[in-house]
Amino acid sequence: MDRNMRFADALSPNGQRERRPMQVAQLKLAGPTVLLAVVLATAAGAEDKSPVAKQDVQAKLAYCEVCHGVSAQGFHGYYPIPRLAGQQTEYLENQLQAFVEHRRTNNIMFNVGHVLSPAMIAALAADFHDLNPKPLGGAPAELVGAGKKIFEQGISSTDVPACSSCHGPEAKGDGAFPRLAGQLFDYVVSKLQNWDKERGQNPAQPDASALMQPIAHNLTAAQIKAVAAYLSQLE
Amino acid sequence: MGLRFRRAWRMARPPLDRTARIVSVQLALATAILTGIFAGAPRAQHMDMGSAGGLPAKIGYCKDCHGPAAQGYGGFFPIPRLAGQQTEYLENQLRAFIEHRRTNNVMFNVAHTLSPATIAALAAHFRSLNPSPIGGAPKQLVSLGRKIFEDGVPDANVAACAACHGPDASGSGQIPRLAGQLYPYVIKELVNWGKERGQNPAKPDTSAIMSPVAHSLSKTQIDAVAAFVSYLK
Repeated sequence: MDRNMRFADALSPNGQRERRPMQVAQLKLAGPTVLLAVVLATAAGAEDKSPVAKQDVQAKLAYCEVCHGVSAQGFHGYYPIPRLAGQQTEYLENQLQAFVEHRRTNNIMFNVGHVLSPAMIAALAADFHDLNPKPLGGAPAELVGAGKKIFEQGISSTDVPACSSCHGPEAKGDGAFPRLAGQLFDYVVSKLQNWDKERGQNPAQPDASALMQPIAHNLTAAQIKAVAAYLSQLE
Repeated sequence: MGLRFRRAWRMARPPLDRTARIVSVQLALATAILTGIFAGAPRAQHMDMGSAGGLPAKIGYCKDCHGPAAQGYGGFFPIPRLAGQQTEYLENQLRAFIEHRRTNNVMFNVAHTLSPATIAALAAHFRSLNPSPIGGAPKQLVSLGRKIFEDGVPDANVAACAACHGPDASGSGQIPRLAGQLYPYVIKELVNWGKERGQNPAKPDTSAIMSPVAHSLSKTQIDAVAAFVSYLK
């Protein structure tokens, strides 16, 4: 046997592992090829399609839950931190992208988002979607009745469509339209009151958040509180 | 109805002779004294609140260790600042000491004699204090600490402290103020989190929220974030 021969692990045609001798010429090319692949992969960056390890997803999930609460039910930190449990995967992924591209402004979520690979984002969204804790609750119960009416019928006098027409009759959402059921009361209030201060922040890159702007604008403060109270107790 | 009953009762009883009257007076006196002694026990807790020397004396007692304005004190152990602390957090910690969910023998002894009313009064008092931070942490760590505090360390799965503790580290509700907390105390808490807090597995508490954070921070990061918060007003 030529002592210059190297052997590579390979699969035989019938799937058995075997060691095959590599040609020296192949070896000489292997180094630079690998180097080139690494350079190209690094340059591609966001296009990295490599799968993500299960324990990395679990670790990242635990990290998200530090702020977003046990089972991502939401948490009253310094700010109300939203429920992610049961959220539409398309909506979640869109929001993470919006944070990273500064179309939605939030310094903490920008930092969270921009280190996540696409595979990690998809894995997290899928895991959050499957969680189903009870709503955190705590909204004023006396507002729920009025909120239900707005949710189901809208307010024709001010051109506010029924929320259910896009968010679904149970507020579970649909694709790009987010689930609202069980969302934190004060989070919903804050988002509706500040819609155009936080979303659609890149005029050069208008996004789907523009849909909600006239609705958020036309709702009165009392109506916002009512609909938020109703949503917050939905399971 | 009561008045008519009592008049009828008095009229039905035979009048007491002298001996009987003395005995009955002595019995009444003894009863009154005993009532005074036993009723005094719960009343003492209210006296702890309202009578002269009660609450102010208790506050002075806390300040013996926690500093004259509760700004904290670097004793044999670093003793934390209580000034400006969130009342809900303070009350929760005192309860945690009492229930041995948070293990500290000195604080157990302090806490378990306090009534709920006293605990609430103490917490309100400490909340109102606002001395300057003691300071003293290495200044060169502050900028790294600020970065960790505001941004977290996303690729090490460390959440941004500001998300819960607030951008000025003032805390909120059950989430403690960290602003002006002693540098060696913050380090000690973060390094020893799982050894001191949540010590009753049968009664898990909100200290569990901080476990992954304390665990994920490196020692350098702990020192930096501790230095940063220690200078905040």
